[in-house]
Amino acid sequence: MKQLTVQYFALFREQAGSSQESITTAAATPADLYQELKSRHGFKLAPAQLKVAINAEFAPWDASLEDGDSIVFIPPVAGG
Amino acid sequence: MKPFSFTRSSIDPRALREVLVDPGCGGYAAFEGWVRNHNEGQTVTRLEYEAFETLAEREGATIVAEAIAKFGVEHAACVHRIGDLALGELAVWVGVSARHRAEAFAACRYIIDEVKHRVPIWKKEHYSSGDSGWVNCERCAAHAHEGHTPLRMDYSRQMALPQVGAAGQSRLAAARVLVIGAGGLGVPVLTSLAGAGVGVIGIVDGDRLEASNLHRQTLYALADVGESKAELAAQRLRELNPEIEVRVHACQATRASLPELIADYDLLVECTDNFATKFAVNDAAVRAGKPAVFASIYQYEGQLQVYDPRSDSACLRCLWPEGTRDGLVGNCATAGVLGPVPGTLGQLQALEVLKLILGLPGGLAGEVLLFDLLATRLVRLRAPRNPACRSGPCARLGPDQTTAEGASSSDDVDLDCDDLASACRSGYTLIDVREPEEIATAPPPVDCLQMPLNALLEDSSVLDAGRPYLLICARGARSRALALELRGRELTRVYSLRGGLAKLADRVVS
Repeated sequence: MKQLTVQYFALFREQAGSSQESITTAAATPADLYQELKSRHGFKLAPAQLKVAINAEFAPWDASLEDGDSIVFIPPVAGG
Repeated sequence: MKPFSFTRSSIDPRALREVLVDPGCGGYAAFEGWVRNHNEGQTVTRLEYEAFETLAEREGATIVAEAIAKFGVEHAACVHRIGDLALGELAVWVGVSARHRAEAFAACRYIIDEVKHRVPIWKKEHYSSGDSGWVNCERCAAHAHEGHTPLRMDYSRQMALPQVGAAGQSRLAAARVLVIGAGGLGVPVLTSLAGAGVGVIGIVDGDRLEASNLHRQTLYALADVGESKAELAAQRLRELNPEIEVRVHACQATRASLPELIADYDLLVECTDNFATKFAVNDAAVRAGKPAVFASIYQYEGQLQVYDPRSDSACLRCLWPEGTRDGLVGNCATAGVLGPVPGTLGQLQALEVLKLILGLPGGLAGEVLLFDLLATRLVRLRAPRNPACRSGPCARLGPDQTTAEGASSSDDVDLDCDDLASACRSGYTLIDVREPEEIATAPPPVDCLQMPLNALLEDSSVLDAGRPYLLICARGARSRALALELRGRELTRVYSLRGGLAKLADRVVS
């Protein structure tokens, strides 16, 4: 199990009901983690529609997660 | 001593001062107006003053009384010369004594300003050329205020920055920036760039001002509603800074129009509110090799990204390779916004533009900034360029829709339909793509398959490439976006109900 910090913006913040949480997970990749959080918070977007960053850098969905990583899920927004 | 008097002999300020001395006063202020040897470029040799004395004395006394009442000073007086005066002679004297210096200065200033404006005194100037001319003092004052010496922009406060200076100001004057969208983001971008002295600013906006714009687009006024935003913005910017060139492009920025629109500019600022334009601007910038500054907002949050072809920075498609269609994210309800959110993001865009023009360090190219302005939270993410693009142009550019080929498959995606039952009979499979809770509150008028948008996006294998489908949502935006997406996956017979259930209901009612 690893301890991760997850930050949410825009739609995710609304759906998760908070802008940040600490979670303990067995997820090996951001893809696994997203599936886990998707069922927990009812996220509606498919992974192909969003981006993930690990420790302040955009990362592929199959990157490996390490204990202590900081994760941000980023939905695209268009308002102006 | 009269509060206001004329004299034909020379004024002795030392004698006049004595009259105002008062042991209860801690301060005395005086003003002396002298005959100057030049005026408006001509050399003056001597002066004549003439006054309508009775009226002038009355008006002068009124002014002195006003000053005493207004500033609470103890004593005040004014003496004005009339007749012939030589250079250097004292033409007008004002003296005020008061308990404290502040009111003495203020009253003194008030008296001389008002005398110049209101008292009927004329001045005839004799010039070294032999010419002479009458100058009404009131007109003189108005003259000075209206800027007979033409007003010039003064950039000294930004030129004082060591990184700007005169060289930076010249770079700003030589820059040509195109701002796409004159709304919540565009307004702060435009005003900051115009104020900074960016030499040429182009404004692209095909919309007319609506009253609902004003809470965040404060360059405009309520009386402007209905007017072209590009025209209005241009007019305001020209008032702010008449020394720059402002060009109006009162049209929509599209894939077709952008290549020509951007041709005369060095840098693009993307300030629209939809993905279609954002990606179109991105693609045009990448193709033309021009830097572009993007921002988007969502309620209290914003994203900022800078594309600079000179550095190895990501473009929008490096981050969002699949592109993103309007309607695929977010919900149907129009997202609300507080004015300072686009205001902040727009100012940050302007700042990035200035950094690019001035070559300042700390530019954002290669990074994406996420702001949560409600929590005042900032996340700065490194955004590497797509490795496949490193050796050449972007590998993920969208179709160039200036060619006929690019415009193809989306033309007929919207289907007009008054009667879903008849669409069903003609062979369409109806799919309601709304969320289950929306369907529960407003069920469709006929039986439909229920497949929420995101479920179909994730897995469209349940659909059959050979069959016709009609997608349905509340207003036709999500169903259209999804239909376009699915057509890209070889599902060529997917259609979207134009205007959604809302339009259908309207038609049934009418």
